[in-house]
Amino acid sequence: MTPRVIAAGLVPLVLVAGLVAFITGPGGITAGIDPLPDITIERVDFVDSEVRVVVRNTGPVPVDIVQGDINDRIQPSAVEPDGHLERFETAVLRIPYAWNEAEPYAIGVTVHDGTRFERVVEAAAPAVPVDLEQAGLLALAGTYMGVIPVFIGLAWLPFIRRLNQKSISFFLALTAGLLLFIGVDSAEEALGVSAENLAGSMNGALLVLASAGCAFLALQYVSGRLASTGALGSGSAMGAALMVSVGIGLHNFGEGLALGAAISLGSAAFSVYLLAGFAMHNTTEGIAIASPLAGRNRVARRLVMLGVVAGFPAVLGAWAGGFAYSPISSVVFLAVGSGAAFQVAVTVARWVARGPGGMTSPHVCGGLAAGLLIMYVTSIVL
Amino acid sequence: MRPRSMMAISVAAMAALCMAVLLPGSTTAVVEKRFITHSGAVISTTGEVLDPLYTASTVEFDPDEYLRNFEYGRVSQEDGQTIREYTIIARDDQVQEISPGVFYNVWTYNGTVPGPTIRATEGDIVRIQFINQGSKQHTMHFHGIHPAEMDGVFEIVGPGGGQFTYEFEAGPVGVHPYHCHVMPLEEHIVHGLYGVFIVDPAGGRPAADEMVMVLNGFDTDFDGENNFYAANTVPFYYQHHPIRIQQDELVRVYAVNMVEFDPINNFHLHGNLYYYYPTGTDTVPSHYTDMVTLSQTERGILEFSYSYPGQYVFHAHKVEFSEKGWVGTFLVDGPS
Repeated sequence: MTPRVIAAGLVPLVLVAGLVAFITGPGGITAGIDPLPDITIERVDFVDSEVRVVVRNTGPVPVDIVQGDINDRIQPSAVEPDGHLERFETAVLRIPYAWNEAEPYAIGVTVHDGTRFERVVEAAAPAVPVDLEQAGLLALAGTYMGVIPVFIGLAWLPFIRRLNQKSISFFLALTAGLLLFIGVDSAEEALGVSAENLAGSMNGALLVLASAGCAFLALQYVSGRLASTGALGSGSAMGAALMVSVGIGLHNFGEGLALGAAISLGSAAFSVYLLAGFAMHNTTEGIAIASPLAGRNRVARRLVMLGVVAGFPAVLGAWAGGFAYSPISSVVFLAVGSGAAFQVAVTVARWVARGPGGMTSPHVCGGLAAGLLIMYVTSIVL
Repeated sequence: MRPRSMMAISVAAMAALCMAVLLPGSTTAVVEKRFITHSGAVISTTGEVLDPLYTASTVEFDPDEYLRNFEYGRVSQEDGQTIREYTIIARDDQVQEISPGVFYNVWTYNGTVPGPTIRATEGDIVRIQFINQGSKQHTMHFHGIHPAEMDGVFEIVGPGGGQFTYEFEAGPVGVHPYHCHVMPLEEHIVHGLYGVFIVDPAGGRPAADEMVMVLNGFDTDFDGENNFYAANTVPFYYQHHPIRIQQDELVRVYAVNMVEFDPINNFHLHGNLYYYYPTGTDTVPSHYTDMVTLSQTERGILEFSYSYPGQYVFHAHKVEFSEKGWVGTFLVDGPS
């Protein structure tokens, strides 16, 4: 591009910057309009005789955190590193308080204009320590939930391998159905977390759309490259299986986040429910990875790696969710998992379309439907 | 791209994301500060202390100054009657730090919440030149006995310099509130347009260490509930700045409840009981107690003296209010 072309491209940018400056600047039409401060109480931890609150400025203007309270009773407290928060900045509010286990608490944070923000914790529970033991517990939970079920699912490979072409198409379509369900499931979860925890100014739904879209396009690009370079050695079957693994891995990271957060928040019953539910659910993901490999031999070593790529992110997710839960990163990861699942569903569907009967054959339609139903049933059984 | 390198990249990317989530931000070494909790624990922090108790001295309004300040007006005599003239200016544009760090748009008489304590003797003529420098309509409505046109209800004083002269004979003896009476009334009161009007009996009351306490509250986020309560505006102020009194000396507190939203308030004194004169209109106390309950604008005179030196708390025994600022202490000095 010549400098002239670049300059021509910059002109509208400069003009629009000028327009924005005029609108928002002194003397502009918004002069004298004070935007309201907004904060989000992202995390509440109950430690020894102290309540620790992570506060993020999610409003359009800087805020000062000036007071903490428990159940609407003012408490001497401290804010670290300091109470002045620029946009998106966080601080930790330390409220010394002899809290009682299992009792509900409303945690209040007051900002400089006197507005009080509140977050209710249903039942106080001691925060989990950040140590090796806890890391081990979370890794174990992630393994039970993600890694082992995926490998159990992969054990279907010998069975799938003995099937005829039509049945393989059925299982591939089933895989696409599973992935579509996973994509919707993750998106719904991401929207739920954002609606519950993110301030309105964060545009939670659009954050989900943008994250999912970017993940979709990134995987699309990578799979396109894999297909066009033919660098896969054993052909596009391995490529498809790998894409499925990556997509499922991203999705499992999101599930790991949810599990880790539940464990660290001390909701034991809920974590058992999550663990068992996800484990059952994730076994079906093994089929998704195995199906594209039905026609290939000598894949054992690669199968292990595929299983790790798909399952191990659950452990990483459990660590992230357990030790550093933040609603924004949760929403982003869940949305990325969603976009990845959709993209992989598309990749698998394309693969199926090349098989006998294309996309409209009864075994393909039946497989898709079966995939959706299996996922739905396994999601409600536990 | 080889599948193996692809897998390595996926795992590495996942690990990097994980690290980004897990790693704390960098911190710089700063000086540790200490503060004391309500239950006496000493806490160290590298950040800022948020504690109305220990930082209240920085706020704009000085409750210590207000406590024992009585405005007797510009005094003159007309036909043998004492005239007390005042100039009261209403504003509604001030933003005041009503608790450390909390900035709230107060509406004021002569720049403060509460407004000046107007004090006269029964039978004096009180003449108030009222100037409304606010952007809304305001008035002054006194509780007490006066002609209808001096009631500050129908004689609305316009914004931007509107004027009205209130003139009436002070009475009856007692302690009364005055406040703005423009609708919406609650809004004008809770923003701070109120103060205390004391009418002394001819010949005065017995000598005492006299003080005024307006029990008030602030709804800083406009949700119809007070975020702060106080004796004289600043939460926790007299807890951190004890009111010094002398052992065996008579103390007289003119207490006026101006709290809105909450139906009741009360006044509890530790280590002692007080004689209570409702509205201050009678010379005989109605109660000898350590607890009176006050409804909106209900007020009275509390008289007591301490037999032992030391520090004594006084507070609302509706403890929600005391935990949100309506608490203070008397520091009783023994004979030197």
